[in-house]
Amino acid sequence: MGKQLSIFVENKPGKVNKITGILEKAKINMKAMTIADSGSFGIIKLITDDNAKAFDILRKKNFLVSLQNVVVVEMADKVGAFHKVARILEDGGINIEDAYGFIMEEGKKAALILKVMDSDINRAEGILKENGYKSIENFNV
Amino acid sequence: MFWEEKIETASREKLKSLQEERLAETIERAAKSPYYGKLFAGQRLKMRGLEDIRRFPLTSKDDLRASYPSGMVASPFGDIVRMHASSGTTGKSTLVFHTIGDIEKWTGLVARGLYAVGVRKSDVFQNMMSYGLFTGGLGLHYGAEKIGALVIPIGAGNTQKQIDFLTDLKTTVIHITPSYLLHMGCLLEEKGLSPSESFDIKIAVMGAEPHSEATRRKLEEIFKIKVYNCYGLSEMNGPGVAFECERQSGLHLWEDHYLAEIIDPVTGEALPDGEEGELVLTTLQREGMPVVRYRTRDITKFFKGKCACGRTHRRIARIKGRSDDMFIVKGVNIFPSQIETVLMETPGVDKNYLIELDRKEGLDILSVKIEIERNYFTGDLKQLRNLQEDLREKLRHVILVTPFVELVEPGSLPASTGKAKRVVDKRRL
Repeated sequence: MGKQLSIFVENKPGKVNKITGILEKAKINMKAMTIADSGSFGIIKLITDDNAKAFDILRKKNFLVSLQNVVVVEMADKVGAFHKVARILEDGGINIEDAYGFIMEEGKKAALILKVMDSDINRAEGILKENGYKSIENFNV
Repeated sequence: MFWEEKIETASREKLKSLQEERLAETIERAAKSPYYGKLFAGQRLKMRGLEDIRRFPLTSKDDLRASYPSGMVASPFGDIVRMHASSGTTGKSTLVFHTIGDIEKWTGLVARGLYAVGVRKSDVFQNMMSYGLFTGGLGLHYGAEKIGALVIPIGAGNTQKQIDFLTDLKTTVIHITPSYLLHMGCLLEEKGLSPSESFDIKIAVMGAEPHSEATRRKLEEIFKIKVYNCYGLSEMNGPGVAFECERQSGLHLWEDHYLAEIIDPVTGEALPDGEEGELVLTTLQREGMPVVRYRTRDITKFFKGKCACGRTHRRIARIKGRSDDMFIVKGVNIFPSQIETVLMETPGVDKNYLIELDRKEGLDILSVKIEIERNYFTGDLKQLRNLQEDLREKLRHVILVTPFVELVEPGSLPASTGKAKRVVDKRRL
């Protein structure tokens, strides 16, 4: 199973910049980022090539940060690829709470990050495996 | 020009002997209550002059709360006809009980004050203060009715209806908080109406919120009216303890009803006349619930010399501040400890917090800023939104004002060690 970082931020200018700066200094490569906004505050979700290290550093810098379990699945970079994954999970009765992704190799490979209930993670990965999908544990390779 | 000329202009000697007589009665009556009965046990109850009061301990709001609900009631409970309440520092409210005689005397005091600023039988009195447990609404209502004015018991809020009645009933006197009157002025100007030409208002009686002389002058100018300051607190009945006269030079504290002392809020020692300190009051005529040496926590001083109006009751200065950390939002008394208790009882809330007071369009805004506990944070947005919502409801229930709850990043609030400043008041009044 994969991990994502969730970081609490106030909705103020310069907040993202501060986090990306810290990661750059630590030579951590960001793979994907998305922001969930709730007015005066939001949560940045982040995948890097070393989530554990990023977590430690951000925590030391006094950020409110947590590591969440996610399913990171490799799929083709083509029309309908996400739809296929979504349907497989739907058939398995698994609810997708949040999703985002990024391209790993233009026209070939993409990574899809899925947040499902913690109790569904193993089953989601199992179902995807049965259907020929590969889960990515980390990008540090 | 007096409601009760004889007593309002009585000589200082006459007032002093009246106070001595009534203080002696008060102490004896208070001793009949469970609270003072126990407290005064072994004390000589017979009084030797006014200074003798210093033998008795001060009464605090906490003492009042500890005697909840009715430990300070000195009359048979069947004689009690009314109860009022105000918020306590934590948990329980403090209750004050009145006999019919108490209500009549309080009403007389309010009438005395209103008459002194020019309110007459022919006036239309729109009471824009909250009714209910809060004393501001009912207290002034009874006093204005006593004078014979037409009283409109509209209460606070509902600005459009206020404006309708002000216009249609040609209201001449209003009772209102300064923040609400400022708000109304802004609102009228936004609508392209002139506050000074829209109504027949002559007099505004202001209370429930501390305000500056500058705010009074500003309001007088905007509305082209006379604004008078009225002081009181529920423990001492409510509004009408002290009232300005037409001279607008300090508030006459009605000394036939209250014995006033000014103390050093830190040492509790009495301060010489004319020095600034905390006002301590003893009721002199209350039957239902006499209160001895009550710490108002309000900072003021006595003016020297006589007032040109002819009243002999000494004048106190506009309240300058508090000797505790109580603050007032929308006319409601709030203690930081009430907010702190809710925060500390709620899982997920870290120990640092900040209360911010501001004003938007004339209305008070209360924001509570909190940090999230590290181990509570799971990265789920919904969890934080629920926490925000939950805190807002819990706080509203306790402080009776709906706050904004703001979540901020760790380390952005003053640390809890030492004497952190927990309340920031950005309002200008």
